[in-house]
Amino acid sequence: MFRKKSKALVAMSIIMSALIMVSGCGASKPAATPTGDAESKEPIKIGFLGAKTGDVAIYGLNTLKGLNMAVEELNKEGVLGRQIQLVEEDNAGQKDQAINITNKLISQDKVVAIVGDPTTGITRVAGTIANSKKTVIMSAGSTGPDVVEIGPYVFRDTLLDTIAAPATMKYVIEEKGWKNVALITSKNNDYSVGLSKIFSKSIVDNGGKVVIEEFIQDKDTDFSGQITKIKAANPDVIVFSGYYTEGALIMKKAREVGIKAVMVGGDGLQGDDLMKIGGADVEGSISYAGFSPEQPTPDTEKFINAFKAKYNNELPDLFAAQGYDALMLIAKAIKEAKSADPEKFKDTLAQTKNYEGVSGTITFQEGREPIKSPVYLLEVKGGKFTLLKKVPVEVK
Amino acid sequence: MPILNNLMQQLVNGLALGSIYALIALGYTMVYGIIGMINFAYGEIFMFGAYAGLVLALTNYVNVYVALLGATVITMVLGVVIERVAYKPLRRSSRLSALISAIGVSIFLSSLMVRMKGPNTRGFPKLFENRIFEIGDFQITIYQIVIIGVAGLLMLGLHLFVSYTKMGRAMRACSQDRDAASLMGVNIDRVISVTFAIGSGLAGAAGVLAGIYFNAVQPYMGLLAGLKAFAAAVLGGIGSIPGAMIGGLMIGLTEILGITVNLSQYKDAFAFTILILVLLFKPSGIMGRKANKKV
Repeated sequence: MFRKKSKALVAMSIIMSALIMVSGCGASKPAATPTGDAESKEPIKIGFLGAKTGDVAIYGLNTLKGLNMAVEELNKEGVLGRQIQLVEEDNAGQKDQAINITNKLISQDKVVAIVGDPTTGITRVAGTIANSKKTVIMSAGSTGPDVVEIGPYVFRDTLLDTIAAPATMKYVIEEKGWKNVALITSKNNDYSVGLSKIFSKSIVDNGGKVVIEEFIQDKDTDFSGQITKIKAANPDVIVFSGYYTEGALIMKKAREVGIKAVMVGGDGLQGDDLMKIGGADVEGSISYAGFSPEQPTPDTEKFINAFKAKYNNELPDLFAAQGYDALMLIAKAIKEAKSADPEKFKDTLAQTKNYEGVSGTITFQEGREPIKSPVYLLEVKGGKFTLLKKVPVEVK
Repeated sequence: MPILNNLMQQLVNGLALGSIYALIALGYTMVYGIIGMINFAYGEIFMFGAYAGLVLALTNYVNVYVALLGATVITMVLGVVIERVAYKPLRRSSRLSALISAIGVSIFLSSLMVRMKGPNTRGFPKLFENRIFEIGDFQITIYQIVIIGVAGLLMLGLHLFVSYTKMGRAMRACSQDRDAASLMGVNIDRVISVTFAIGSGLAGAAGVLAGIYFNAVQPYMGLLAGLKAFAAAVLGGIGSIPGAMIGGLMIGLTEILGITVNLSQYKDAFAFTILILVLLFKPSGIMGRKANKKV
């Protein structure tokens, strides 16, 4: 044991002396990487990872809009006396491109942090690279599992289903008084299966009861069998954890046989097709989101107004608000750590508590998973999702 | 008796679903009876019928019967064209060639629809207002009545056509022995065209009924429906018209009863389990005659 340790020590000291020699050689030149040097006036570089073209371009483009707003605001005063510079790349929603871009941002552009990707799949890939190269990465969109578990450099500032679904059920059961729940899961949809587990636990936790549990599949069109059974069970509410298309079809069938209960589900219900297919039958359906521009707090209102002024009267969406918050969180951590060295400010970032962002209050738990408050409950009214209530989430 | 009532309710659901399978299954069975090939494109013809109904319903406030009739006529023409283009040139070649050609047609049709109307599920407009009829606790919706009723009428019409018209007799003759029928002066090409037209028309009508009943159409809806209808045709005894009707209803009922006994997780497995069991233990199906050399 001791021998091994001493061997390691010898090896270490050899490497160290080699390093000193190398750095000694380069000492005459100006520092190549200004990271961590508070005196330097070089800009602090932040990378953007996301799609600007392709199927998921809308998420990336909106994240970027929020980021640009944050850059503008931060550069009025500067961060540690330095400017923030955004390095944008387009990964078109492709994993292979995302790998190249992440490597380029870190090795070539020397960014200290990356904001992105909005999707879980690419965040996992990019997060693994960023974590191994000791660069902070914060996704402003991913909600799936196995993201922050990658390592201490990986963050996200999104509303997670594990926070939102229980808050939604608490509201449905306590405030609406809908205790008897019909739970429907789309069994060939991983998202739905996962979300149903969270729903079913929080239904019980809040004193509700799953009176009937039924299964469908994505792309199914005939729900008559399940709906007949649900009608017989006479639930107060239908909780469906899948996507909008099946949600709309389920509700059409439910209204057809005279079920009056409304549908409650996750953000998978939020697609225009829910209303396009469901029409009047999905009115009153409830879902949740991490942001809504309605009923803003004063800070959020300021953000919304600035956003509208900058972007042609457009209202910011979830991705814009979370993108803005992501960069603001990183900048705050850099300021507090008094260093733009990711190795240092990642720890300050991880200790963020009750940060008042424009998308809500953000706290990183141990393990860096975010708790966000409030949860924005949305209701379908007049053919579109409108804010029903902001439900606060307690930080334990 | 809530349990009994629930069961009755599910039987009606099963009948409505089964009627749709039965209408598609008729196409499979008629074509098989006459030229001995499986036209795997029937599922897609069913899907085309649903879209034809959708387009008709959206353009000029047509009522349900016009939409049904229009979709039926469009799919009849489609069926005859498919036969001429994709199957007739292969009539004298191996069964496998015709089967591969049918699969090609099926992929072509669904891709064409994705190209024309996009891949997303579309809602089906309400062609008439829903009404619920209650008999005590038991309920039946007007949609279910229309579907079971229209399907029943179409099947009755088909039965009368095949049994009592000259063309029907020619079809039966062809199914017994095509060469002999040809020698007796039956125009084989015409009989085959009529068979395709009728089979496709029924699938097209089923498409509109499915659109009304499920409230939805999408370009790949034909795949699973077609496969289940094929299972229904085999269950009933492929080549037998009453067999296809019974097979379709049985598949629909089994699916819904599966859900009733809490097996909704395995809904799609029922039709194919039945298909495998029938092929293993009674390949000729319920109403089929023992085949001497076919397949």
